[in-house]
Amino acid sequence: MKSITIKGSKRESVGKKATKALRNAGQVPCVLYGGDAEPLHFTTEEISFQHLVYTPDVHTVVIELKSGEKYNAILQDIQFHPVTDAILHVDFYEIFDDKAISMEIPIHTVGVARGVKNGGVLRYNLRRLKVRGLPGALPDYIEADVTKLKIGQKLYVTAVESEDYKIQHPDNTVICQVRTSRNIVALDDDDEDDDDPQDVPSTETDDVAAVKE
Amino acid sequence: MLQPKRTKYRKQQKGRMKGVAQRGHRLSNGTFGIKSLDSSFITARQIEAARIAATRYMKREGSLWIKIFPDKPITKKPLEVRMGKGKGAVEYWAAVVKPGRIMFEIGGVPMATAKEALRLAAQKLPVRTKFIVARDYQE
Repeated sequence: MKSITIKGSKRESVGKKATKALRNAGQVPCVLYGGDAEPLHFTTEEISFQHLVYTPDVHTVVIELKSGEKYNAILQDIQFHPVTDAILHVDFYEIFDDKAISMEIPIHTVGVARGVKNGGVLRYNLRRLKVRGLPGALPDYIEADVTKLKIGQKLYVTAVESEDYKIQHPDNTVICQVRTSRNIVALDDDDEDDDDPQDVPSTETDDVAAVKE
Repeated sequence: MLQPKRTKYRKQQKGRMKGVAQRGHRLSNGTFGIKSLDSSFITARQIEAARIAATRYMKREGSLWIKIFPDKPITKKPLEVRMGKGKGAVEYWAAVVKPGRIMFEIGGVPMATAKEALRLAAQKLPVRTKFIVARDYQE
């Protein structure tokens, strides 16, 4: 997984007055926890979150403090101002090579679904998958092959299982599905239908709404 | 038009709209949205007008989510009636919107389409608005 370095400095006082002054100076108060030590309060420039927060990718973070200490972490939580959307506070979770972590990994679909070629629309139910695994084994993204999906069929999380991580969603969670579109052209049921329907029971739909459309 | 199916009490007090939105200020369904910058009552009629303006521009592509619901009954006394003699009848329903509240969300269309559709929708609303894009959006 790609890593981003964030430079910061330890906070002396953590009260409301000091925090407000920090934010007015373009700084973001942050906290790092997850290790054996006490939580570490530090501050960093707001601009340093540009490539970490406003991106579809996930990264690990190397926090470099002015005192010379370095910590590996992941972005755990982030708070935004309700109106201005400015970053108010960031939580980091310290990671270790031998300690499993939970993380939301983006899903990238591969190929064009057969249902989409027939005029359907691919609808995403999940853009990110919550998985648990060792930091070194977690991928940058999870690839989901949608080429076999026909209209009305769904892709479940069980289709993207791997030994590197454990998926934290129930097995019947849908990643994406091909829904009927209003400008559907034709339904090709006989196009290279080489799959035995009994082989793929989990992808058969019982979605009444989809059938009605 | 939107209105509750059933309510416990027919009429409500006016209330005050203080502060900023404490919930409903992040995108939850779509990729794009409009956020209110003012506080106001948004009537069911205004929500419906905004919805029609946006869906008409989107030409039935993508999805539109209405993230506010008019659950507050607004009463009005009839014309030329003296003060007193009880509270007036319910005239319309309104949603209480505070600064920061996401009112409409759109997904499944390109950014230019969503921006124009939400601009047209925002023109039907009595508040200043801001166009919002999901932070993990990629062209």
